[in-house]
Formats: sequence, C-alpha cells, structure tokens
Amino acid sequence: MNLRESVGIALGGIRANKLRSFLTLLGTIIGVASVIAVVSFVEGMNKFVTDKLLNAGANVFVVDKYGFIGSEEAFEAARRRPDVTLDDADDLRLGIRNASMVVGEAEGNTSVHYRDHVLKGVSVHGRGAGYDVVDDIAIGEGRHLTEFDDRRREPVCVIGPEVAEELFANVDPIGHRIRIGVQDFEVVGLTQAKGKLFGITQDRFVTIPVRTFQKFFQERGSFSIAVKSDDESSLPLAEQEARNIMRARRHQRPGQPDLFGITTSETWLELYHKLTGGIFIVTIGVAAISLLVGGIVIMNIMLVSVTERTREIGIRKALGARRHDILAQFLVESTTLSLAGGVIGILLGAGLALGVGAVSPLPAAVSLPAVLLGVIMSTGVGVFFGSYPAVRAARLDPIDALRHE
Amino acid sequence: MLIAIQDLHRVYQVGDQEVRALDGVDLNIDKNEYVAIMGPSGSGKSTLMNILGCLDTPSQGSYRLKGLEIGKMSDDELARIRNVEIGFVFQTFNLLPRADALHNVELPLVYAGAKHEERRARAKEVLTTVGLGDRMKHRPNELSGGQRQRVAIARALVNRPSIILADEPTGNLDSRTGEEIMVAFENIWRQGNTVILVTHEPDVAEHARRIVRMKDGRIESDTVNPNPRSPAPASPPAHA
Ligand SMILES: Nc1ncnc2c1ncn2[C@@H]1O[C@H](COP(=O)(O)OP(=O)(O)OP(=O)(O)O)[C@@H](O)[C@H]1O
Ligand SMILES: [Mg+2]
Repeated sequence: MNLRESVGIALGGIRANKLRSFLTLLGTIIGVASVIAVVSFVEGMNKFVTDKLLNAGANVFVVDKYGFIGSEEAFEAARRRPDVTLDDADDLRLGIRNASMVVGEAEGNTSVHYRDHVLKGVSVHGRGAGYDVVDDIAIGEGRHLTEFDDRRREPVCVIGPEVAEELFANVDPIGHRIRIGVQDFEVVGLTQAKGKLFGITQDRFVTIPVRTFQKFFQERGSFSIAVKSDDESSLPLAEQEARNIMRARRHQRPGQPDLFGITTSETWLELYHKLTGGIFIVTIGVAAISLLVGGIVIMNIMLVSVTERTREIGIRKALGARRHDILAQFLVESTTLSLAGGVIGILLGAGLALGVGAVSPLPAAVSLPAVLLGVIMSTGVGVFFGSYPAVRAARLDPIDALRHE
Repeated sequence: MLIAIQDLHRVYQVGDQEVRALDGVDLNIDKNEYVAIMGPSGSGKSTLMNILGCLDTPSQGSYRLKGLEIGKMSDDELARIRNVEIGFVFQTFNLLPRADALHNVELPLVYAGAKHEERRARAKEVLTTVGLGDRMKHRPNELSGGQRQRVAIARALVNRPSIILADEPTGNLDSRTGEEIMVAFENIWRQGNTVILVTHEPDVAEHARRIVRMKDGRIESDTVNPNPRSPAPASPPAHA
C-alpha cells in the first residue's frame, strides 16, 4: 500500500546518516558477507573437485600398504603390515575379472638434468603399462611407456610439458637423454598439459616404467596398485575381488582386519565433505552471531525510530491508519534497512570470494542460491527483529501518540 | 440525526483518583450544522472532541454516529470511521514534517486505499480550493502558520468526510490569520459540511450558528447564535 513511502523513509534515513547506518548494519553485513564468501568458496571447490578430482580418476581405487590413515595408532598398526609388491599387482591383474586395468606404481622426488639445465624437486613416477588409461593421460608427442619397457626395465621416460618446457625450451625432447637422479634416461614421450589441481601443477613430472623405478630407486619398499574397474557399477565388485585376492595372498583368516588398505575416490570425497561440513558449521556459527547482534541493533534503532515518530504515528492513526498499516510501515522500514545490509554483505562477500579466488589457487564461484540465501537471511533479520518495534508502534493509543512531544 | 449522544461519561483513572472529564453529556447534532464548543480550560471540550472523532471511546453512555454505536467498535473499525467520516483540524496542525503539502493531504486517501493518480488529482484539487495551489511541493517548515493550517484543512476535507472537527484551530495563529482560517470554515460549512469547532475565543465562536458551552464535564448551555459574524468574502482567502 504505502510501500514506496516506507521504503523511501528507510532509504532516506540510511542516506541521511551514512556512518550511523553503516554501524547499524555492520552485524548484518558481516553475517551475510561471511556466508556468501564461504558458500562461494565451498561451491567453487565442489565444482572443482567433481570436475577434476573425480573425473580424472573415475572408477579407480588404490590398493596399498597404508590405505586411508585417520590417526597415529592406525599408522603404527599399518606400519607393521607386509609391503605391497609388484607380484601383488600381477596377481590382481590376472585375478580381478571386473577390472579393465591394474597398474603397479611408486613415486619419488629427485632432480632432473639435461646438459647444463637442472630441475630440482621433480616428481618421478614409476608406473606399469596402462597408467595412461587409469589417469586419463593423453600423449602429446612420441609414445607412452609399454609392458615391454617395463619387463625389460628400460631406461626410458615420458615427461610432463612443464619439465619439457623448462629443460628443453624450444628443442623437441623426444630422443634426447636426460639424467634422473644419477641415471640416464631416454625421453620417449611428452604428455599433453593437464593444468592445475588446487593450485598444484599436474604437468611437472617424469614417468618411468615401474620396474625400472624399482631397479634404480626402490629396491625394497611398498608399491601401490591402481585398479580401474570396467564401469561405475562394477567398481564395488572389483573392490571385493581385490580384497579377496589380497587377503588370500596374505593368508588372512576370516574376521581378521585387512593387512592392506583400499582407498577409493569415495574415501577422499568423504574426507572432503567432512572438511567442508566443518567450514560450514563454523560459518553458520559466525553468521548466526553476527546476524543476532545485527538484528538486535536494528531492533534498537527501530525502537528509537518508533519513539521519535510517536506523533507521526498518532497523526496517521487519526487519519485512518489501521494497526496493520502501521505494523506494515515499520516492518517494511526494518526490512529495507536489513536488506540494504544484506545487499552490501552480498557484494562484499562475493567480492572477497572472487578477489581471493583471483589471487590464490582457491577456486570461487558465486552462485544464485548463495545470493538468494543472503537475501533471505537479511530479510528474515529485518522481519524478525523489526516485529517487536512494529507491534509496539501499531498498538499505540492514538490520543497518547498525538499528545507525545 | 448525524450525531446522537446520550448520558456520555468519560472517566480517567489517575492513580487512585477518578477524573470525570465528561460527566453526563447529551448532545444531538444534525447534518450541516456549524457548532462551536466553548468553556473554561479543563471543562472537557477536547475529551468530547476526541470521542466525537472516534479517537477515544466513552466510559459509559451512548454515542451514535449515523446510527452506529461507536462504543462497541474495534480499533480497526474506529480507524475506518475516522478515515471515512471524520476530518480533523488540530491546534498544532499535526502535519508530517518530512512530507510536502501534497503528500500530507494525500494521507487519508492512502489509508482509504485510493489509487496513486486518483490521490494525486484529488489532493491537488483540494489544496487549490484552500488557496495553496502554488505551495504543493513545500514542506510544513517552508510554510507560514496560516498556510500550514490550510494544508491541514485540505487534508481534513480530502476524503469528503461527514464531519469536520477542529480543536482550537486558530489557537496557534495571530488574529488576522485566524480570521482567514475562519473564512475557510465558513466556506466549508456553506458547501454543506458539518463543522464542529472548539475555541476559547468568543470572536471565533461567533462565526458558528450554534454555541455549546461546557463546564465541569457537562453541557451548561446550548444556544442558537442569533447574529453570526458577517460572513467574509466567499472567495478563497488571499495568500498569507
Ligand atoms: N489522558 C488523561 N488522563 C487523565 N486526565 C485527563 C486526560 N485527558 C484529560 N484529562 C482531564 O480531563 C479533564 C478535561 O480535559 P480536556 O482536555 O477535555 O479539557 P479542555 O476543555 O479541552 O481544556 P483546554 O481548554 O485546556 O484544552 C481535565 O481535568 C484533564 O485534566
Ligand atoms: Mg482542549
């Protein structure tokens, strides 16, 4: 009805006293901004994780010595387990009917030389043939490593584009010899770029056959085995088969806990959700406290406003305003106020998220639901904390109100 | 009968003391009467006006407006009666300070639920008839006392009420300006409206056609004014 008027009064009040309004709305602004920022980050990460982490290793699980370690005790217990060997990998490859690929793997870190160029801290992957299928790695130039390379423990390698870039600059690396650690390797392939995952490059590595790795870098120690199932539905079957085979190879009795670990992308997803869930709970706490404080400040301002404008209320009532007219007027006012705080909060939160997203590897995505959430929250604060002052205004006796000085 | 009041009482409780502001008032007022209510301070004039204007309800007795019993009405029903039937003019003008003249005059129509354009047009029309056609965008603090009271009169008239109630409408004005306001009331009455006003000043009361005198919450006398003060020019007053 006189919505425009009430909104106008509220906005006029905000404009007339910017500093006071800002302080009034600070709680609401902080509450909404923190929610928007965190929701934006979490949504950005969600998207990122589903896009990259899951799709890259789709339908893959990993068998290794440790599995997913949640505590120090678990780590101590896992340390005493037998190592996972490449023989385990061979048996799994033969035994699991639901697997399309089984690859033994190990990983190290060393420096790589080409003539007088040195790269320090390069990931060295030892991997069995078929790693390209498991991790969805496409070759850019040359060829992938093969079963043949592996069996003969050939000193050959495939390198990531970043390594190629930094070692070879403009030279075609295929056919050249590089030194990995203390051993010379021939570059037979160059992979296509994969980009970054959580700000960490996926293109700075050298991959060598896993048995070559065993020979030069890791004569003893445990390997991990990546198993890719035929498709999503056969993933649990493949996992069960792997478990049975591994238990049989370790002569485990029924009921005895696995002497090896199996980690699926589900495991990581669970951890991830636990993490973001924690962030959410903390944010909800911060937001709730800010909004509570913000709401009380708004309530206070509205009570002052009702007192200051008692005479106006009397005049309006004398001219025919009913209770709900006055109620609506003050509710619209408090809601406009808190909504203004909400809008500032949304802009601030989105700006924060996008700003941090731009200068850091943390991905951020401001989504419509997050913005709606901010709008709903601030509206709710205005309505909830504006009710009491509005009811007080609506209940004023017209004569008392008119007499008010 | 427009207004029928029988044995009306209004008692205020102040601490453990009862103040009988109205103590048995009987009063009938017809359509298109012009009544002045006089009496010493504290005699209950304002109390009676508040009840007449449905801002307050009697403690006892009956007030019927157009046959409807006011004492039995809810707050919202009273608000509706005030909106439709009553036009108030106050001693202290009681305009909204932050709103311009036009908006002040529009207010009763806002609560009557009139559409924006309709409100605008009607408010402009009434402001023009009280001689403020060129002051519509002015706020109260940009207007003289006489102009403010004319805005208030326009506001009282805008929803075409049955009764215009004015409690000391000239009380805050100098005598010349007060006289201009009385000319406005004269015109309103001549156009067929019912006007009831409270005043201390005999000069002001002399404009009315009927004079009711109160004392101690009762009506002391109720007489026809034999020779009302010469009606001023029928044209709107010159700008003050
Ligand atoms: N809200 C109230 N509470 C208590 N007593 C009141 C109240 N309003 C009025 N009264 C008392 O009722 C009596 C009548 O008051 P009222 O205002 O009607 O007088 P009045 O005739 O209008 O006087 P004045 O000419 O001074 O305006 C007075 O004694 C006054 O003190
Ligand atoms: Mg009085």
